[in-house]
Amino acid sequence: MRQSLIIMTEHSVNKLVDHFFRNEFGKAVALLTSKFGTQYLEAAEDAVQEALTKAMQVWGYGQIPDNPTGWVIRVAQNKLIDHLRKLQRVYYATQLPETDYESPELPSDEQFKDEMIKMMFACCNPKLSTEYQIILTLKILGGLSIREISSALLKKEETIAKSYTRAKKRFKEINLKLEIPEAEEIQNRLDRILKIVYLLFNEGYKSTEGEQLIRKELCEEAMRLNQLLLDKPETNSQSCRALMALMHFQVARFDARVDRNGNSVSLETQDRSIWDQQHILLGNRYLTTIEDGMQNTYFIQAAINGIHCAAETYASTNWTYILMLYNHLYNLSGNPIVALNRIIPISKVHGAELGLLELEKIKDHECFKGNYLISATEAELLIQLKRTDQAVDKLALAIDLCKNIREKDFLRVKMNRISDSRQP
Amino acid sequence: MKQFLYLFRGGDDGYAKLSPEEMQAHMAKWGEWMLKISQNDQPVPGLPLQNEGKVVSKGGELITDGPYTEGKEIVGGYVLVEANDLDHAVAISKGCPIFDFGGIVEVREAVPM
Repeated sequence: MRQSLIIMTEHSVNKLVDHFFRNEFGKAVALLTSKFGTQYLEAAEDAVQEALTKAMQVWGYGQIPDNPTGWVIRVAQNKLIDHLRKLQRVYYATQLPETDYESPELPSDEQFKDEMIKMMFACCNPKLSTEYQIILTLKILGGLSIREISSALLKKEETIAKSYTRAKKRFKEINLKLEIPEAEEIQNRLDRILKIVYLLFNEGYKSTEGEQLIRKELCEEAMRLNQLLLDKPETNSQSCRALMALMHFQVARFDARVDRNGNSVSLETQDRSIWDQQHILLGNRYLTTIEDGMQNTYFIQAAINGIHCAAETYASTNWTYILMLYNHLYNLSGNPIVALNRIIPISKVHGAELGLLELEKIKDHECFKGNYLISATEAELLIQLKRTDQAVDKLALAIDLCKNIREKDFLRVKMNRISDSRQP
Repeated sequence: MKQFLYLFRGGDDGYAKLSPEEMQAHMAKWGEWMLKISQNDQPVPGLPLQNEGKVVSKGGELITDGPYTEGKEIVGGYVLVEANDLDHAVAISKGCPIFDFGGIVEVREAVPM
């Protein structure tokens, strides 16, 4: 009985791959919008949502069609055609394709990928604000619901719902065509997409607040979209591969950076044995495909993360190499955040005194106004110099400025630990 | 063992708001439940029904679109289940995923011929 149950389970609803519905949503909306025009984006979304609902109701009885993708596309397309026919009965009825209750010809995997990539270029069109680009990408291509997006981005549901309505309106207004840009334009447009992909990834990665599951899925979604670009020669650029390496190195440490109680764990104290070696391996593999990456900010960031991943202990980290890469990254980008991230490597290579001096140079930059990271970094250096009283003061200041509850707790634990250590 | 008919009614309103990921999870729940209510290793017989249909009355003279009565009460599908008696059949119906979204299960005993 038990045996046969397992066999049945394999042949029934659970044979679907993970995230089938979610991935299907993006594929089907991209395909139908491409076929019927971007002005019908909303109708296409509704049709696909209905088709998936029907799949859920029907397939739950135990039978999944041999070609589930074909089933969803067919049902969604028929629903869309019925909808358009009602909408335009008088004018265009004759121009619409017949409702096809047999199976329509299904695009190949390659064509599906092309449609997804065209939709990515549309969602990340520079005429749309960054906020709209993120929401459109997550909703249409990621197949996430408004609730899931709000949970992943730690925003209110109604805020996301409103933004999405406005984003769709704008999407229609600028009358986008679903196409892959011309060769001379593709690099710039691709960089824009990569920026959004990495933003998505970071939205999932940066905070340890909220539901971890959905946040990890956001990271995986970013990687899935990047993989689509890698699969197509025109979009498989060095930057694209470097970004993939960077994301693999970071996601390898996803679980290690939160403890059982949901508290952040610093790189120094993470359990390195639970870092995902498969991701680290893939990260290294992508890095080695890049011949000269030193002009590429994703490559340098990936290389820094790769060195961290390669170190068996925090103490054995190759800080000299990391500092060299940070210096290079700072020269390329001039980004004050990079200058701040460089402080700890400086202190590891040249001592905490020099770290403090360098920190002094950048701490008044306006982008750090009210930012707790300056005080937190200062405290870290003071701890290294065993100037405990000053370190406690800086930590108190950092706790005061920090808005993230998890980070606050993390700093408090640290403060208590060093306060205790100075007792005789 | 006696035979019982489960009629699944309603629950559709809640479906509209589900994300694709939630749909897949809900479908998997149905699949597992369908296996659980089976008394042997075969899937229970049953089928989902289309919402659209016709209501025929007056000997076929009156045909209307239907069954658009109350959305809540539209039968979305049925299965045949074996159980010892009505109480047993009711007990088996507990845990049906239709309750997640406010739907109901109507349990009816089939009269043996």
